[in-house]
Amino acid sequence: MKRTPERIESLAAEYVLGSLKGRARQRFERWMMQSVRVRQEVWFWEERLGQLVQAVPSVTPDPSVWIEIEQCLWPSPKAKAHQKVSWLWPGWSFLATAAALVLAVILIFPALDDEAPRTQLTGAVVQSDVADPLWLVSEAAERNQLRLRSVAVVEAERGKDYELWVVPVEGNPLSLGVMAVGDVYEVTLSEEARRLLSSSRTLAISLEPRGGSSTGAPTGPILHVTRLYEM
Amino acid sequence: MTADETEQKQLLDLLLAVAQRDREAFRQLYQRVSARMFGLCYKLAGQKELAEEALQDAFVQIWHNAGEYHEDRGAPLGWMITIARYRTLDLIRSRRPLKSAGDDMLNQVADGRWGPLEARLQQAGATALTGCLEQLSDTQRDTILLSYYRGLTHDELAHALNSPIGTVKSWIRRGLMALKRCLER
Repeated sequence: MKRTPERIESLAAEYVLGSLKGRARQRFERWMMQSVRVRQEVWFWEERLGQLVQAVPSVTPDPSVWIEIEQCLWPSPKAKAHQKVSWLWPGWSFLATAAALVLAVILIFPALDDEAPRTQLTGAVVQSDVADPLWLVSEAAERNQLRLRSVAVVEAERGKDYELWVVPVEGNPLSLGVMAVGDVYEVTLSEEARRLLSSSRTLAISLEPRGGSSTGAPTGPILHVTRLYEM
Repeated sequence: MTADETEQKQLLDLLLAVAQRDREAFRQLYQRVSARMFGLCYKLAGQKELAEEALQDAFVQIWHNAGEYHEDRGAPLGWMITIARYRTLDLIRSRRPLKSAGDDMLNQVADGRWGPLEARLQQAGATALTGCLEQLSDTQRDTILLSYYRGLTHDELAHALNSPIGTVKSWIRRGLMALKRCLER
């Protein structure tokens, strides 16, 4: 579909309103990742339509909501023992739902057998105040390879590295290694990594001590979370 | 500085502190805005449990993404509300049956949850958008407001308003474009 200014204008409005859904919504999100102009159009509507909230009466949420938020972000060791595995990787349940939605859509179709061509994933890691994507992500399905081409990303601070992770729908992230900046980073996915990625379609990048996390889980701040799309 | 500007400035300061991983600022931010955000989540979802889950996810997301806020995104409150609204819509849609014309939905239309929007919301919404909503036709305005406040999809709007889906789509599209022309004036 051609990206005419009129179409961007109209789709952005419907995206913000929420009436754009399914594949059209996914395609538009891809446009957003690729173009600052599209993102600005979305922000225009987010701000303007956001004013409609003034008309909605405030409702004070139960105190339990704040407790849940704190538990989710900073789980106390005692509570942790009783929680599901997904809580160990706090804060990403919302992404998991989005991924589950994609999965639900796929399940309508007959299950793909091993002979069928696999879908190829693609995406971009963006930062809102940088016009170009930081990394472009693509996948070569036959060789189980994921490629990240650095575009606008800058070197990590001294003594630090960027580490790439697959974020599964549930459970702990799986490291895909440390990425050098200014180059193409290629990683061969293990069967497990491929399986987790094809269901969650979610990658994350964290800032780690040079050489990467030594614990097997992210230790530094999560800088980016991105969802991949079928090509 | 108006009262609103003062508030937005305070929220901005809190958000900047949250971006620096200040937990106390995060707690204050929650106290300041959670009731307004929850009001919208609740209105959209029509049920407490889902609205609470959406609010919770939204704040977790705000904690992680506070550093990505910048002034092009609009006022801080609007940015946070947008996060909560998208999250609520996601949850609503992931829990509704995929085939949208199921019996459940028809029942929901019948029980009035998706009935005409309250007059109060219509009026206040119109004031918020500097009178521009008044310039739309009734159907254009209603479809836009029902989408915004109730999260109805095209299919659902067609059911609720008893009109063909193509007509509903065109009301929304034309209404939004007319709104934009007016807001840009």
